[in-house]
Amino acid sequence: MIHFRCVTRTYGTHVAVRELDLSVAQGEVLALLGHNGAGKSTTLKMLVGLLRPSKGVIEVGGYDVIQHKREVSRLIGYVPDQPYLYDKLSGREFLHFVADMYGLTSTESLEAVGREAERFELTEFLDQLAESYSHGMRQRTVFAAALVHEPRILVVDEPMVGLDPLSIRLVKDLLRTYANRGNTVLMSTHTLSIAEEIADRVSVMRSGELMFDGSVEQLRQELPTAGESLESLYLALMRE
Amino acid sequence: MSDVIRSTELQLSHLCERLPSHEREGQIFWKLRSRIGRNHFKYLFARARLRTGLVIGLSVVFWIGLFVLFYGGFEFIVDQVSSPGAAQHAQIIQFVFTLFFVSLQVMLVFSAGIILYGGLYASPETALLMVLPIRDERLVFYRFQEALFFGSWGFFLLASPMMVAYGLAVSAPWYYYVYLPAMMIAFAYIPCALGAITCLLLVSRIPHLWRIIVGGAAAAVIAIAYHSIWRTLDITGAEVLGASWFLETFHRFEFTRGEWLPSTWLSNGLLDAARPPSPDPTDLPWVESGKYLIVLLSNALILHLAVLWTGKRLFRASYSDLIARQAREVRPRLAWIDRVANRLMGMLSRDMRLLIIKDLRLFRRDPVQWSQFLIFFGLLLLYFANVDRFRQHRSDVSVLAWVNIVSFLNLAVVGLILSTFTTRFIYPLISLEGHRFWILGRLPAQRDTILWGKFLFAACGSWLPCAGLVIVSDIMLKVSPLVLLVHQVICLLLCIGLSGMAVGLGALMPNFSDPSPSKIAAGFGGTLNLVLSALYILVVVLLTALPCHFYLLADISEMSSKLLQRGYLNLWLGMGIGVSLVLAVIVTVVPMRLGLKAFRQLEV
Repeated sequence: MIHFRCVTRTYGTHVAVRELDLSVAQGEVLALLGHNGAGKSTTLKMLVGLLRPSKGVIEVGGYDVIQHKREVSRLIGYVPDQPYLYDKLSGREFLHFVADMYGLTSTESLEAVGREAERFELTEFLDQLAESYSHGMRQRTVFAAALVHEPRILVVDEPMVGLDPLSIRLVKDLLRTYANRGNTVLMSTHTLSIAEEIADRVSVMRSGELMFDGSVEQLRQELPTAGESLESLYLALMRE
Repeated sequence: MSDVIRSTELQLSHLCERLPSHEREGQIFWKLRSRIGRNHFKYLFARARLRTGLVIGLSVVFWIGLFVLFYGGFEFIVDQVSSPGAAQHAQIIQFVFTLFFVSLQVMLVFSAGIILYGGLYASPETALLMVLPIRDERLVFYRFQEALFFGSWGFFLLASPMMVAYGLAVSAPWYYYVYLPAMMIAFAYIPCALGAITCLLLVSRIPHLWRIIVGGAAAAVIAIAYHSIWRTLDITGAEVLGASWFLETFHRFEFTRGEWLPSTWLSNGLLDAARPPSPDPTDLPWVESGKYLIVLLSNALILHLAVLWTGKRLFRASYSDLIARQAREVRPRLAWIDRVANRLMGMLSRDMRLLIIKDLRLFRRDPVQWSQFLIFFGLLLLYFANVDRFRQHRSDVSVLAWVNIVSFLNLAVVGLILSTFTTRFIYPLISLEGHRFWILGRLPAQRDTILWGKFLFAACGSWLPCAGLVIVSDIMLKVSPLVLLVHQVICLLLCIGLSGMAVGLGALMPNFSDPSPSKIAAGFGGTLNLVLSALYILVVVLLTALPCHFYLLADISEMSSKLLQRGYLNLWLGMGIGVSLVLAVIVTVVPMRLGLKAFRQLEV
């Protein structure tokens, strides 16, 4: 579903992502791991069209992200690490705006907003202006906006930041069941326990390069003395 | 397997086909704007009545003031120089119009370009819109509309009273008023579109240098304008506003009347629309004016297409290039200014010194703060440095009276600009500390020290540039030593009073929910601070300006009233300064006491 082919992105002379080859299949949850500055966010930003690769090609559902930006946008739902909402719009108005932009009809839009509001338990505050929302409320609203058009791919940058334990459980279940329905999830996270719990595969990046790409089990086999948990495996990998 | 792939591709293709059309995208954005606008107005009228009322009220007063000024000027030309339709009338009005519109045209190019940059490249909203399936040209146009609105509202506020006044002064026919809004909108669109295209091209081609280029171009424009004004007022051997001066000036500004300039099309169009019908049946003013309107409209439409075309081709790549620039490494170190400040504050406690130096560093490292300070005070300095050029016949009593009035007006202007800075930057200081109160609140320093530190930082920091500016103005106007001394005393009182008010009210009415200083300043407390500051400035300046004014006139002309004789005037001046002093103590101590009380009990 997603293919990065020899993708490089530079910031001036600094190489943020170096010759990245990575694929994510339909129905798979892939967790992108790495220290700060490893190139995770840059990778996701290139995928959703906020950044262009300096070199290489990114394809989503057979579409090139540069050539077919709108088509790719239709297939992707994106939850950024710093959610943006219009302060002077209510959550409902915001969700309807996003649904309209994805070409949903009025009936579909009403249905979709109702569905996502229920799923993320937004109903209580959905008609209040977003300026009064807490970080967790904003994050849940942005999740709802990313799913309002039922995308084939969900791209999430740091999904659990600012969420309370109940919302974290909700999001974890959502990501897993979403992929089980044949959709694709690509998330970048520092929360290794969550990656271990829900991801089919983990990809570890360091200084813009892919160090490891496979399941947690494969990582255990590669580092048999490092321990059982993803945390100990990750730290051992980083020490190498 | 290939059937499955084909079926998936078909499904994807079907999904993508349902994306909104160009027109539908426009409608959705229109709906977005309407909703945001509606909610914003509701908020303004429910929770920011003082600010809204003040902005509307002051805008109306400003509009009416300009209208009266322009109407008087145009009526003078019609009555004393020549009536509409005459060649001389057309020449004078064309000179005024083209100069006015060409200046605004240049400003519109810069303001639209800068506002578009802020909206398109520096706003988090753009990142949201870029991941939605929105066409790039639509996104650029959406942002351009904002740049057009915010860039040109000042143009409409300045130009509309002038144009309406001209129409009424020359008894323009009805179609003048019909053409007027269409011409003004089409005209404003042209420089704004040029500014937008320039912004996109600069960011796209030279993302590292665009700030330097825009800054350099702005400096060049200011230098040209300054040189032109300087030369206009520096004519020797010709009386200012005399016939030869006018002719010379008229020729000097020939470049503002170029036939290819939109400002010339607008000026000519308005002149044609306003002139009386000609006896020649083939010379129809409404047709001639209409031609200029068509030229303006067609150029605006072509540039509209050019904005879309440029946006479609350049925006996304330029956005990517801009955010992928390598960040410049800034290594903060102890600057000489910190060391000097530390020495100068030797008599203060260590805690207070450290707090003041912290505020000084934050101010220095935030270009938004000092650049605005620099621009406004720089422009004032430019004006003050040339203010003596307006002086002729120094022995003339009316000129001397005007010099005195101008010197006090200059003092008031410095105070008013300072009040906007204390409201915008000093008032929100305590509210902004809310986010880092866990540091300040746990320091082994008294809370009073924090507040007094901010007061000293504001008062001392504002006094130096303000006193310097007022001295420059006084020296250039060659005012008497007494007036210079009075000005310095008043300037000091203004700096202390405005700082006390801003710090005190800021602590009394903190807003910890908003991280943006501009939004904090725009709230009720900030608006109240601005209004009270303006009133304080007006009262203090008037209390000393009037006695000084009569004191000066007493030397050179006979005063009829006994109360305006020299003995009484000394008393009036002394009383004026005394009352100003008392007022300064009140506006400093009362807000500070209230602020200190509230700050001691503050729980974040």
